[in-house]
Amino acid sequence: MASLPKRIIKETERLVTDPVPGITAEPHDDNLRYFQVTIEGPAGSPYEEGLFQLELYLPDDYPMEAPKVRFLTKIYHPNIDRLGRICLDILKTNWSPALQIRTVLLSVQALLASPNPNDPLANDVAEDWIKNEQGAKQTAREWTQRYAKK
Amino acid sequence: MQQQESQTGERKRFFRDDLESSENNIPFVAPILNNKDSSLFGDQAQSEKEEVRSSRISQQLASFGEQLKELIPDLSDAICSKLFEKFGNGDSAISSAVDYYFEHSKSLLMGSDDIPDIIDLSQDPKGNDDRSSSHYSSSHNLNSDPPQVIEENSTPSMMSLMTQSIQLKRKRANRQEEVSKKIKHEPTWKRFIGSLPATAMITRPTIKPLEYGSQLIMHASNTENSKSSKIYNSNGKRKVSMAHLVRILDQKSGREIGRMPEELARLIHPLIDASGVIFNLTLIYGGDRRLSVGDNFIVQLDCYLTSDIFGEYDSSSDTVDHNKKKSKWEPSSQSMVETDNELSDRFKRMGLITLFKKLRIREITDESSHLKSLEKDINEEIIDLEDDDAYDSIMSEQNDIGTEIDENETMNLNQLQNFYNVAQSTEALKNLPETTPSTDIMKLELRKYQKQGLTWMLRREGEFMKAAHSTGEETPDTTMMNPLWKQFAWPKDMSWSKQDVSDSADPSTKSLFFYGNLHTGEFSLEKPVLTTSMKGGILSDEMGLGKTISTLSLILSSPHDESLNEKQLFEQDEVSTQNPEIPYAAKTTLIVVPMSLLNQWESEFKKACNNDEMHSEIYYGGNVSNLKTFLTKTKTPPTVLITTYGIIQNEWTKFQKEGHDAKLHGGRGLFSIKFYRIVLDEGHIIRNRNTVTSKAVMQLSGSRRWVLTGTPIINRLDDMYSLVKFLRLEPWSQIGFWKQFVSVPFENKLFKQAFDVVNSIMEPVFLRRTKQMKDSNGEPLVNLPPKQIVVERLKLNEKQESLYKTLLQQAETSVRQGLAQGDLLKKYSIILVNILRLRQVCCDVRLIGAQDEMDEDLSKSNTMVDNASSVGKLIDDAEDVDDSTGFQEEEFNKAVLSLKEKHDLTDPKLSLECSICTTEPIDLNDIVFTECLHPFCRTCLTEYCDYQDMRNLDLKCPLCRNDISRKRLLTLSKNNDGTFDVVQYGRIQRNAKVASLIKHLQQLQDSSPGEQVVVFSQFSTYLDILENDLKEAIPSDQVEIYKFDGRLNLKERSTVLERFQQKDPSKQKILLLSLKAGGVGLNLTCASYAFMMDPWWSPSMEDQAVDRIHRIGQTSNVQVTRFIIEDSIEEKMLRIQERKRTIGEAMDADEDERRKRRIDEIKMLFE
Repeated sequence: MASLPKRIIKETERLVTDPVPGITAEPHDDNLRYFQVTIEGPAGSPYEEGLFQLELYLPDDYPMEAPKVRFLTKIYHPNIDRLGRICLDILKTNWSPALQIRTVLLSVQALLASPNPNDPLANDVAEDWIKNEQGAKQTAREWTQRYAKK
Repeated sequence: MQQQESQTGERKRFFRDDLESSENNIPFVAPILNNKDSSLFGDQAQSEKEEVRSSRISQQLASFGEQLKELIPDLSDAICSKLFEKFGNGDSAISSAVDYYFEHSKSLLMGSDDIPDIIDLSQDPKGNDDRSSSHYSSSHNLNSDPPQVIEENSTPSMMSLMTQSIQLKRKRANRQEEVSKKIKHEPTWKRFIGSLPATAMITRPTIKPLEYGSQLIMHASNTENSKSSKIYNSNGKRKVSMAHLVRILDQKSGREIGRMPEELARLIHPLIDASGVIFNLTLIYGGDRRLSVGDNFIVQLDCYLTSDIFGEYDSSSDTVDHNKKKSKWEPSSQSMVETDNELSDRFKRMGLITLFKKLRIREITDESSHLKSLEKDINEEIIDLEDDDAYDSIMSEQNDIGTEIDENETMNLNQLQNFYNVAQSTEALKNLPETTPSTDIMKLELRKYQKQGLTWMLRREGEFMKAAHSTGEETPDTTMMNPLWKQFAWPKDMSWSKQDVSDSADPSTKSLFFYGNLHTGEFSLEKPVLTTSMKGGILSDEMGLGKTISTLSLILSSPHDESLNEKQLFEQDEVSTQNPEIPYAAKTTLIVVPMSLLNQWESEFKKACNNDEMHSEIYYGGNVSNLKTFLTKTKTPPTVLITTYGIIQNEWTKFQKEGHDAKLHGGRGLFSIKFYRIVLDEGHIIRNRNTVTSKAVMQLSGSRRWVLTGTPIINRLDDMYSLVKFLRLEPWSQIGFWKQFVSVPFENKLFKQAFDVVNSIMEPVFLRRTKQMKDSNGEPLVNLPPKQIVVERLKLNEKQESLYKTLLQQAETSVRQGLAQGDLLKKYSIILVNILRLRQVCCDVRLIGAQDEMDEDLSKSNTMVDNASSVGKLIDDAEDVDDSTGFQEEEFNKAVLSLKEKHDLTDPKLSLECSICTTEPIDLNDIVFTECLHPFCRTCLTEYCDYQDMRNLDLKCPLCRNDISRKRLLTLSKNNDGTFDVVQYGRIQRNAKVASLIKHLQQLQDSSPGEQVVVFSQFSTYLDILENDLKEAIPSDQVEIYKFDGRLNLKERSTVLERFQQKDPSKQKILLLSLKAGGVGLNLTCASYAFMMDPWWSPSMEDQAVDRIHRIGQTSNVQVTRFIIEDSIEEKMLRIQERKRTIGEAMDADEDERRKRRIDEIKMLFE
């Protein structure tokens, strides 16, 4: 494996020494580009009280290319599919090398707080969310209780 | 002698009578026969044949004379008849006669009265030329066995070699017996050359034990001898080898006792009956019992050379003679049939050579210092000679040599070094006396070796009175030893008979050496010198040793031809008889220089000359209306007329065009005058004799000729030929001779032979000193301050890199194709263009597509490549640096203002973070701002842009997502006071080399202000770019930039150099110098720093350039920085340079070799 860019080392150090509230990210012992991430469900959202496991991988072209992030915990969210894939513009076309792991994870946290059913990834969830927002939120809350209990 | 004269008298009458009827000749024949009645074959039975023969002779003479007179119209009958007498009427008789005529015309003419010099020749077997032995035998043959010889000579083609050799044997036997019957010719002295032990075999039983020390006689027997032939006919197989049977007879009893071992017999057999060599055979061990057939006994064979072999060598005869002689046997040995005489001659010659080898007599190459004698293995000499004689036998050996050399390339280098070593002949040089030119004429003080050089040069011109003499040294010979001759030392006399025979009477005992021409079997006690009438030579001191000054001292010491007095000077139009149309400018030295040196020579002359009457004139363009009048009719013609190769070429071309008209008017310009002296500076310019320049220069006439060059050999040994030709160094200036003795052996990989010849050609006319040489006190000739060459490896910038990769791919493809299809060299020019592109990219992308004068020859294939590829597009990329999408003036100013508002650029500790690599702070030398004023590392932002481009994504500021453009970026440019200016990025996007150069220059200016710096590049376009970049980067009050390249005219050149050389303590002076225009000759010692922007193929070219500043006059340490782009073609070029240094480019043996090497080089570039 190519040697780790200075930037990744620096970011990792900062994640440890100056962690973002509600978010943890730890590099894997064997692969410093692979992070185990937890995100607390934002307060006031259906995911409150939940602790979601994610994985984050920094590709070789990082930071030119966006990191790959995926939910490991099952979550009921219009922008996150059953496989945990996230629909977030900064992870796709709007990626900028000025973004960092920290900012990416903050964005994911923000996505939990404000789902965007108009740009869905899980179509059934999004439909449900549009037709019956309350019901959908209830389901999300249930799922959080079921799968993401702290 | 009287008899001889009467014989001549008869013969003369015979020839006068030759128009009369043939019967009249009969009485003539008789005296010959009577003279020869001692001859076995002079019996009456043959006199009838003689009649027939004599009539035939007269006919033959008539036709002989006719043919001869066709060749030599003013040949007198008398001489004609003499020649006929000498050469008979064979196939080669005419040519031999012509040769002989030219060689001996003087003696022939003198002898055309009553002095029978030719008869002398036949009477005295010493002869006085190389063919003495053959004449000798031929005359004897004529006398002893006339019908046979005539037959042979008239119909040689009908005879096979076999019968010839048999006849030869017979004749030899006859002659031998004849000689023994006659009172044997007593040589005046003999001298020991060595002895050989031999184990001989008893052929007849002895009655009692052989006596120790008893003298034996050798007798060479022949197969034709009736008795022995009977014996050996029975054993047919052995007959051939028995041809060399040498029997041993007891001196006392005259009884045969044994025979010599066969190998030795073969060697001495042809020599026993030859004149010039005497053998003494002594029994040294025979056992203490009687011997029976087949027993061995040991003998000592003492060999002597006798006075006979040392014919009077006519040392006054000049070069041409000897080489004509040489050429005489040369063609005949190639043509199918050798005449008997030549054959016997050859046997004898080869016998001698082998004998010399056996006796371990070695030639001496350096007489003056036996200690350091470069002894040469005589074995190799044998090879050389056999090569001339027996082609087939040597082929295998030649191949051996060839492969050996292939395996061991460094041998080539050794050879080249050897060449220079011998050419330097160090010892002799050290002891040259010094000539100090009087201060009345020469203002400058010469260095020691320059004074010695002056001595040498004056001697070369024959101005011995002016040259200093060292005490104890005899007048040095301006003559050289004939290169075909070798010098040998007499060995100590170890012969058996030494004790009792004292040869103190021997006149030769005092002499230490004798000389032999093993090519012809000719020997001499005197040094066979070539007195060349040629005045001049090659001054080949290494660069920077002051060839110019040495030459000027020569010119000032001997400014005009003193052989003509004042009166003649003005009347010499009439005086010069040879070519009245060409007036003689007896007071003018013509100096031919490359254009860049024109002014330098003039100013050097002014500096050196201390005599107001002498002045120099530059002949450039039409500044002198009538050169002829100017030089020959004025009272004070210029001592020195300086012109360029270009002018000469120009005038020559015009002259050629005008053809006969111009010739009628006595030539044109420079060609209409015979100069007192011609000096070619940087003489290697004429090395290719097929160029117009070279041809034109050859046509200049002058009585003294000099070539100055630090590098006489640039590509191949033949480069020397042009110099030799210019010098009119006879006979080598005839291409035939050169080819035969230098080119051909060289091509056959007989390097040693070729170099030996070149050495001996060059030695007397060639002076070379190197900076490393020490004078007689062991001091180095020149004490130059040290020079340090640093190679600085740099990386390409991103634009260069991407372009480089594209081009490299392209080039590799074409090379691979070329290699695969085997037509690599056909594609050579295309590949060259590709390579050129790569080299250009290493310097600057802007070079691509720029017409560069370096590559005129490439321009055609240039377009080919460009059309066929994306180079066009790439060039566009390179050009759109300043297209309209960039900042407009206004926008730019606005951006700069807002940037300055946002960041305090005056703060040197300004700390900005690059959001891409999170580096903080960004190196301000490497910072880029987007239009939205966000800072990034240059590399990070570039990487980002490239990545986005690759994926066809828009370029947006990573921080604010505003659109950005590569062309709308800002960067900082550091001022010398440490503050930064905002500049547009991309426009000033400096390539690595320029950036580094600027850095170096600034550091230099900081540490020692006011230095002069030379910057070399081979691309003049690059010099332009450098000029702009440097002007942008360095404030104009700190620097002055000069540019010197081929585009400057003469006046501009001198202005530039003059101004550059004036030191200004406040300003750094930078001279951008084109490697080609200014790489040679210039003297830039005022500078001690140099930068080489790009490597050149040949290291010597770069050395030359460095020597512009590292030369006499330089007082400070010299610092040279060479910029090389890492992992690029430039680094590979360095490797090729290295390789060339070791191989020595001059050693490229032949065209094939060179071709192979070129392919190797191309492969090396793309491996």
